[in-house]
Amino acid sequence: MSIILKLFTFPISLIIICLGINTILGGHITPGGGFQGGSMIAGGLIFCIVVYGLKESPFKLSDNFLGAMESIGALGYVFLGLAGLVFSGFFMYNLGVDIYSIVPASIKTIFDYPDPLNAGIIPYLNFVVGLKVLVGLSAVVIAFLESDKILGEDEQ
Amino acid sequence: MNFYLGPIIIGFLLGFILGTRIQISSKSKLKFDAEIYAIVLITAIIVAYYLGPFPYYIDVPIASGFVSAIIGILIGKLLFGKEKNDKNQIN
Repeated sequence: MSIILKLFTFPISLIIICLGINTILGGHITPGGGFQGGSMIAGGLIFCIVVYGLKESPFKLSDNFLGAMESIGALGYVFLGLAGLVFSGFFMYNLGVDIYSIVPASIKTIFDYPDPLNAGIIPYLNFVVGLKVLVGLSAVVIAFLESDKILGEDEQ
Repeated sequence: MNFYLGPIIIGFLLGFILGTRIQISSKSKLKFDAEIYAIVLITAIIVAYYLGPFPYYIDVPIASGFVSAIIGILIGKLLFGKEKNDKNQIN
């Protein structure tokens, strides 16, 4: 890759990642959300990986990191759903909003996202979905770039 | 002027997680010194200003989540973004 690309890609990818995070944060009011924001973050990471290559990329995405983020995303989603089941009797019930007034006030406070719209658990769901998507899409690209090595091992 | 903690905390957390993964190898020819991060921070504040008070439209005049995300990235990089000889690394 050219020197100009190598000079500009990393700083620009940081800005793209921040835009992705911003998209996740506005997911409960504006178009976008966990999937779209996670894709934008993955786009920033992939931009670096494609330009610098896997070995030289400033973002070191290890097996353990990818696995942990994927697990946190999936388990966070399930636990938020189960919290609804435990405290209200309905899976994925929006505990922070509690439109049927069936949840104690203390539980409602815990799950209410601190913003003027009282979106409840929706922003938290966006956050965990964003984590899952950013790891999933990055892992696909890393797997493609590593395909030579994987295929070589299979042939041996 | 109102501050809403939700986007600030979650933006910082996501930025921090990603910032911890920035590890530039000493063997690499790439050099990103402190000046690069300072320029990125200034650029991010300008971008956040032009984004406006996203997503609530009534709080501070810059995108607070965007700024907290870049601060999270920089703090994550400063605290944990050091080179490690991790054998589990893919690359």
